[in-house]
Amino acid sequence: MNLITRMMTKSNMIYLGIAALLLILPFFLTGRSVQFMITQIFIFAIFAMSYDLLLGYTGIISFGHAMFFGIGAYTTAIFMDRFDANILGLVLAIGVAVLFAAIVSFIVGILTLRLKSHFYAMLTLAFAGLFLVAAEKWRDLTKGNDGFTFRIPEILRDSTVMYIVSLVCLVLIFFGLRRLTNSPFGRVLVAIRENESRTESLGYKVLHYKVLVSVVAGVVASFAGVLYMLSLRFVNTSVFHTDVTIDVLLMTIIGGVGTLVGPIIGAALIELAHHWISGLANVHWIFERWIILYGTVYILVVIFFPLGIVGTIRAKLSGRSKSNVLEKKRAS
Amino acid sequence: MDLIVTLGVNGLATGMLIFLLAAGLTLIFGLMSVLNFAHGGLFIWGAYAGVWIYTATNSFILAIILAILTGLVLGLVTERLIIRPVYGNHIQQILITLGFMLVLQELIKVVFGPDQKAVDPPAWLASSFQIGDVILIKYRLFIIIVGLLLFFTIFFLLKKTRIGLIVRAGVMNREMVQTLGINIRFVFMAVFMVGAALAALSGVLHAPYSGVIYAEMGLEFSILAFIVVVIGGMGSFTGSLFAALLVGLAQAFMAYYVPALSLAVNMLIMTIVLIFRPQGLFKVKG
Repeated sequence: MNLITRMMTKSNMIYLGIAALLLILPFFLTGRSVQFMITQIFIFAIFAMSYDLLLGYTGIISFGHAMFFGIGAYTTAIFMDRFDANILGLVLAIGVAVLFAAIVSFIVGILTLRLKSHFYAMLTLAFAGLFLVAAEKWRDLTKGNDGFTFRIPEILRDSTVMYIVSLVCLVLIFFGLRRLTNSPFGRVLVAIRENESRTESLGYKVLHYKVLVSVVAGVVASFAGVLYMLSLRFVNTSVFHTDVTIDVLLMTIIGGVGTLVGPIIGAALIELAHHWISGLANVHWIFERWIILYGTVYILVVIFFPLGIVGTIRAKLSGRSKSNVLEKKRAS
Repeated sequence: MDLIVTLGVNGLATGMLIFLLAAGLTLIFGLMSVLNFAHGGLFIWGAYAGVWIYTATNSFILAIILAILTGLVLGLVTERLIIRPVYGNHIQQILITLGFMLVLQELIKVVFGPDQKAVDPPAWLASSFQIGDVILIKYRLFIIIVGLLLFFTIFFLLKKTRIGLIVRAGVMNREMVQTLGINIRFVFMAVFMVGAALAALSGVLHAPYSGVIYAEMGLEFSILAFIVVVIGGMGSFTGSLFAALLVGLAQAFMAYYVPALSLAVNMLIMTIVLIFRPQGLFKVKG
């Protein structure tokens, strides 16, 4: 009972309401392509939230986050291809993907997180590059750049089921990560972002926190990769490309760093841009080169709205309520 | 033996091109602690601008001049518009220069078209010498000579002139130089423009060397430049030369002996350096 009343805060009600609306949406929108696109948004939202744990909450830049996404993707694809495509195989694949991602992110983290920020960026970039090369060269296992298609458990082949599964995962991970970022652990992460040496001198083992959060981010990203494979049923080396990392970076920055809703909105915006703006290519040439638009928006966001869409709105709102409080105090 | 010489010359030529690209980046970092991920964008703009006038007039000298001018102008614009608002904040620098990199790369496709372009070396550099069994391609020797000349010129400028003294002092301690009444921002702008011009020069020299240019080289070479700077030690000028030659030679020999690993060799070297000597092979000295 206590738990339920605690869960029923205003913001939670709003989020759950939106989730419920999204849950009944596929029964009205029956077009496969639309359902597929929204499923993709959910999956990339999970991926972007994991990235924001690093960038927005802890202030760590990763240039190789695609690596964890790709680890999840390839593990699922290979398990589904080599073993029976049933739920048991899938659970096994998820377990291995998560474990593998955890080990890799632990190793990368322990090596570079004690150094300055750009070393983590460079080493993740290097590792992602190594995974890309491995996926291209280990042809027996990955079939190289051509990739391969595979079968997945019967029940997940329906696009509506996949939509609901992705949505449920998104909601669960969203609340899980919110619990994490609101916990004392999350507060220490924010403290590290704001002033690392002060956090250290307060007695927190900064390195432990950073490694732990990078492992959590890696695991969540790997899970997003698993879902991505289930919705696509085809894998090739593009999941390891730098483009994937840049996409998730744009999603996080434009949506709003340091929030969990921001990456979800960013994911929706970028995915919609992929699908619709490129369709406008014959209207005007600028739409074919939509990266220019996004890059420009992104640069302006970094300079003028470093908090992104959600962060800026939130700062405005809280600023207003704070000034209200001040006025009330002055009045009394 | 002749094989080793041929591979060595290839590696040195590649290394010199990478050095021209990385030299500016390392000084920019050393001087103002700026991480510029748009460096490859300057490289690719130099390449495209140079190739454009090269195909129009057939003069490689004009191509080099235009590339350098493009680099200087783009360097000025980049420093003013992109770097200046985010001084002192590494995370914002990485983010904003990466975004600018993407814009520069896409603008190439708008201005020069999205297809890749084939480029041949100029006639006076197209042939080769033969000494014994060893075939030396003129264009590669030309790159090595240009690279060495520029290295020694910049080395001389840094070590023997007043400007070089200010730059070296700035790399060691920016605040102190500022206190002595020198406008370090102005010095930095000049260094940034020269670094950008070197990157653009590297781009136009690279075009006939690889035979083909395409817009995506921008991001690839941004990453490559950073790898080299990390290996050589961030801020170290001599370090960037050694790291560039190391990467160039490793690429050339790996491509012949272990082709499967040739794509990964840069990453492997950087990983090893980061694990055992995270400050890079060379320390920053005055």
